[in-house]
Amino acid sequence: MATPLRKVFDRISGFASSWGRKTAPRGRRIFHRDVEQEEFQYSSTRCLSSYYSVFVARLAIMVMLAILIGLLTILTWHFTRVYTTKSLNTLAYGLRYELLQRPILRMWNILNSTSEITTAQVKLSEYVIRRYSKPTNQAEQVELYQMMKDITWALFASRKALNAITINYKNGFVQAFHRDHRSNNTFYIYSDLANYSISSSESYGNKMLESRQGWNDQFIRGNVSAIWYREPLDPVSGEKIGKAMQIPPDDLINIAGPSQVPDGVASWHVAVSKFTDSPLLSAALPVWDASNTSIVAVVGVTTALYSVGQLMKELVEVHSGYIYLTSQEGYLLATSTNAPLLNNTAKGPKLMMAVNSEDRVIRMGAQWLQNAYGNNLPPGHVVHVEKANLGGQHFYIDSFFLNLKRLPMVGVIIIPRKYIMGKVDERALKTLVILISASVCILVIGCVCILILTNGVSKEMKLRAELISHLDARRRAEASSNYKSQFLANMSHELRTPMAAVIGLLDILICDDCLTNEQYAMVTQIRKCSTALLRLLNNILDLSKVESGKLVLEEAEFDLGRELEGLVDMFSVQCINHNVETVLDLSDDIPKLVRGDSARVVQVFANLISNSIKFTTSGHIILRGWCENPNVSSDSAKFSPDHKKPLYALKAKLKNHGNHMKKASKRDNKMILWFEVDDTGCGIDPSKWESVFESFEQADPSTTRTHGGTGLGLCIVRTLVNKMGGEIKVVRKNGPGTLMRLFLLLSTPADGTEQQGQMEFAKHGVAVILALHGSMGRLIMSRWLSRNGVPTLEASEWNELTQILHELFHARTRNSGFETHYSLGEPLRSKVHSIQDMRNPVYIIVVDLGLLDLSTDIWKEQLNFLDKFSGQVKFAWMLNHDTSNSIKMELRRKGHILMVNKPLYKAKMLHILEAVLKERYVELQKRSPNGTKGTAKEGDSHECLEIDSTQFETCSSDDSDISEIGGSGTDSVSSAHTGDQPRVLTLKSGASNCQTLKNCLVELTNLDSEVHNLRADEDQCNGRPRGNDCGNSNSPEQTSISSSTKEREKSYTSKAANGQKSLQGLRILLAEDTPVLQRVATIMLEKMGATVIAVGDGLQAVDALNCVLGEEDRPQTEICDSPPYDLILMDCQMPKMDGYEATKAIRKSEEATGWHIPIVALTAHAMSSDEAKCLEVGMDAYLTKPIDYKLMVSTILLLTKTSSA
Amino acid sequence: MDVVQLQRQLVDYKASLYNEAILDEQFTQLQELQDENNPDFVVEVVSLFFEDSERLLNELTKALEQQNIDFKRVDAHVHQLKGSSSSIGAQRVQKVCIAFRNCCEEQNVQGCLICLQQVKNEYSLVKTKLETMFKLEQQILAAGGSIPV
Repeated sequence: MATPLRKVFDRISGFASSWGRKTAPRGRRIFHRDVEQEEFQYSSTRCLSSYYSVFVARLAIMVMLAILIGLLTILTWHFTRVYTTKSLNTLAYGLRYELLQRPILRMWNILNSTSEITTAQVKLSEYVIRRYSKPTNQAEQVELYQMMKDITWALFASRKALNAITINYKNGFVQAFHRDHRSNNTFYIYSDLANYSISSSESYGNKMLESRQGWNDQFIRGNVSAIWYREPLDPVSGEKIGKAMQIPPDDLINIAGPSQVPDGVASWHVAVSKFTDSPLLSAALPVWDASNTSIVAVVGVTTALYSVGQLMKELVEVHSGYIYLTSQEGYLLATSTNAPLLNNTAKGPKLMMAVNSEDRVIRMGAQWLQNAYGNNLPPGHVVHVEKANLGGQHFYIDSFFLNLKRLPMVGVIIIPRKYIMGKVDERALKTLVILISASVCILVIGCVCILILTNGVSKEMKLRAELISHLDARRRAEASSNYKSQFLANMSHELRTPMAAVIGLLDILICDDCLTNEQYAMVTQIRKCSTALLRLLNNILDLSKVESGKLVLEEAEFDLGRELEGLVDMFSVQCINHNVETVLDLSDDIPKLVRGDSARVVQVFANLISNSIKFTTSGHIILRGWCENPNVSSDSAKFSPDHKKPLYALKAKLKNHGNHMKKASKRDNKMILWFEVDDTGCGIDPSKWESVFESFEQADPSTTRTHGGTGLGLCIVRTLVNKMGGEIKVVRKNGPGTLMRLFLLLSTPADGTEQQGQMEFAKHGVAVILALHGSMGRLIMSRWLSRNGVPTLEASEWNELTQILHELFHARTRNSGFETHYSLGEPLRSKVHSIQDMRNPVYIIVVDLGLLDLSTDIWKEQLNFLDKFSGQVKFAWMLNHDTSNSIKMELRRKGHILMVNKPLYKAKMLHILEAVLKERYVELQKRSPNGTKGTAKEGDSHECLEIDSTQFETCSSDDSDISEIGGSGTDSVSSAHTGDQPRVLTLKSGASNCQTLKNCLVELTNLDSEVHNLRADEDQCNGRPRGNDCGNSNSPEQTSISSSTKEREKSYTSKAANGQKSLQGLRILLAEDTPVLQRVATIMLEKMGATVIAVGDGLQAVDALNCVLGEEDRPQTEICDSPPYDLILMDCQMPKMDGYEATKAIRKSEEATGWHIPIVALTAHAMSSDEAKCLEVGMDAYLTKPIDYKLMVSTILLLTKTSSA
Repeated sequence: MDVVQLQRQLVDYKASLYNEAILDEQFTQLQELQDENNPDFVVEVVSLFFEDSERLLNELTKALEQQNIDFKRVDAHVHQLKGSSSSIGAQRVQKVCIAFRNCCEEQNVQGCLICLQQVKNEYSLVKTKLETMFKLEQQILAAGGSIPV
């Protein structure tokens, strides 16, 4: 939408900007385009306005700059050129004018002076002639002439500039003075007197009067008889200095005659003479007689114009140029050059025209004038030409007109332009060029500078815009993250409410009496899952709490030892399969009760231990704990310098808090509890020791793949530890694995209980033999025991145990009949001896079940072997959590009643010791302190002392499964039924009041094999001796009991695949009307090795049985005949006679024979009413359709095996 | 087409049957029961199912066409059908049977008729699918391959 507008704008701006700039516009436009492109890629609208403003600013500045520079240039140009030129012109004009004026003035002066002389001469001549107006004789004539000569000489001598004065008398007599400037001679020229008589003159005179024209030169000239004489004179005195010579008349001098004064008026004209090389100015004036009627003589004065020329030359020398003077016709009078002014023709020198001057410039100038003006000279003959092109050069030409009446003259001055304006002209172009280029450069540079400078501005604006957008984005991100965590918290909270409701309702449901076993199992499962879900929600909430830092630790008293023990127990279960042993090693001085947040503390350790388990494939995981009281200096050698830090830190804290803390610490002792989690796993790279505690940091990213995990655990741990006033870090350890050390600041209540005195055991003379697999645990335990005065022996293997036993007892009794296969090492032997020296010792042997060879049947032999010592020794057995009950029963049978689940730690050991001692003194069986055992009061079954750990809320769902399974498994031991009731199993915990004992039905949970074992054991408990061991009859039992049903099922299928037909030899009657089902079940059962008879309804089923019965009509005494079928699968819904009826009938008929064929109902219904119905009619079990065949098989096995007896 | 392609086709087809809930894990269990001792177990059972179902459906149709519908009989038939369909894993048929039974309990004639129609549809669907599957298996066997599990 802005694109076309922008394009137009750009174009306009491009034009505008290129107006001022010559070279830049294109580049700039491209630059702008690039910038534009970039801008477009960002959000266009936001940056657009800023971009435009920058652009506009740039443009404006550039335009202003252009205008400024343009103005400057123009002004400079104007001022430098125009004024200069003008002023120069003016000056030049003045100069030229002046230059011209001077020669003209001189000329005028000359003219004036000549005319004065002439007038004077005339006047004098008139006077003289009038005095001698009528000469009577020759003497008077001569006197006249002499007088005339004198006065003429006077005048002539006074004016040195004159060239000649001539007098031409009417009678022909001529007198002249002549000066030759070149040779500086003065001559007097006169004509011969002889020819001229007075007498004749009158006649002539009269003739002349009659015709004025009659007196002309011709007369004189024609008069060949005239003889002129010339005599040189002294220039100063006028004396004759030489001989008079005869000269031809009119030769040397031009005597003015009457022809020059035709009107009796003075005349001027320019003349030439042989003797001069320049024109002469001659004036002729008539001399009138007394009456002014006739001309008696003509006076001629001739001046050379030489001085004018001289002046001109001087002027030109100074100012240069050319000056010349011409007559109006154009004849050169004087020039400033040395070129000749006269043409030398054959007839003599002639005047030269200016246009013909030999001087080039003058000639060209005159020609130019003639060309330009022709004969139409402007009024006044004044011409000022400033730039006349004469032969390539420019000249000033000025002409001036001297309008003299007698001789108008024109003066012309030609000055080459370059003498005046030369530099100016020259400079003008240069200046222009320089100016323009300079201005262009400046403009360009200016534009570039502007661009560069404003670049910064635009960049800054861009950056600012970006910053704003980033800040905005960050704010939004933070806000969204806040929303998310709030949402998370809200949702978690909201989700917890219904979850709690669900759990609560499930609890109520569990207490319902009318649930079938299957339903109960389902509900329990649901409850487990719900609890797990709730736990998950709590974890999520915790996570967000921890992350947001809003965690609040509660303050409550809890037993730290117990919590940690429970934790270790739980984790040891996970380790069973990984041959990693978990060991708990808490020092004795750890207070029993501490104040703090138990859940968080346990969470911390749970995280650490689970990490260790994840990364440890073999070896051990040790959780060590010891305490340090800041008020008491510790003497343990364990402390290293960096332990002092928390001490100081704590002391500093205490000091800071001052009295408050002191009071608090008086009330509650604050203890520093140190813990270490030591594992032998893959370890953490030292460079990562700090960073593993960061959120989402895994030491090795590949672990996520192999081990799972989010990387949050350690972060949470550190936060929690810090919140509890402690620190955690990874420390170096010898050997492989990781060692995490942390300390917590917990307060113990002032009334803390004392530790139980273990010293008592030493008094009782107890000796312990530890026969455990786990070396670390064994080591720690033995160390602890020894520290507390209980001598300990260790054995890690069965053989070692036997050795020790031999040594201990057989050597004692000195029965050398036994083979000593094995011999003990020396230190062990000495120990043994020292033990033997004890007075009345109580021997306790803690044996790990793993020492027995459970894979084969040797373990029984081993047990038998141990029986030998049962009198002298008390055995305590360490069992796995998944130890099968058959083993447990066997052990119990052999009289070992002390059974403890692994791992072994202090508390358990204490229990064992207590139990042993108590048992020693009290022969009664006692209940375990935990009271998880059942209430089987009615039975004479043994109460097995199983010291089990308490349940924990923090367990994972899987683990709780295990423990609950285990719990329920062990719980069920207690309930036993004897007597005449049909042998059915109940698998409900008698301790729970909500359960009622059901008689008929078998619970088909995933504990089927365990159930089977329990059943077997229960038989044992009932004291019925059985020929066959319960151990080996059931191969499924031997399969490892894992926590997932899938594995169990797999084991079944694998068994099938292995060709072991589990239903081998069983005869099964199948009553099912649905042919499909019939077929399927038949094939299935036959696959399993059973023999199947299928019938289509209840009636046939009854008949089938009765047939057999009928056939086998034996005496009643024989009761041990086997029934025809081992099991009946009875569909409930059948035509003719349904399952219930059939069962009833069958049961009835069984009364006679005393058999009890197990009947399994196949029903589509699974309601409790159906269950009751089945119960009523006498069925043993039921399966719901669609049938889970594996379940069916297991049920069959269950029912058939137990019934065989 | 070659054996591998056929096998892949079969696998995909089976998967689709499970995805569309036409069959469920009961059928898987059936397949697991088949071995060299009972090589045609599944085919046998399924054929049995077809026969039985068709018989039942005919019975049902007849029963529902009566003036006075004997709901007990209908219920019995549906029950049978439900049982057999559930045992071979014909999930959808089974589901419809459940609904059918509810209608029978309520003595809702219209509902029963609708359900019958649905059952028939589902049945024919599962029948077609299974027959196609068996054909594929035959093809594979004919081409010399083995049936992938």
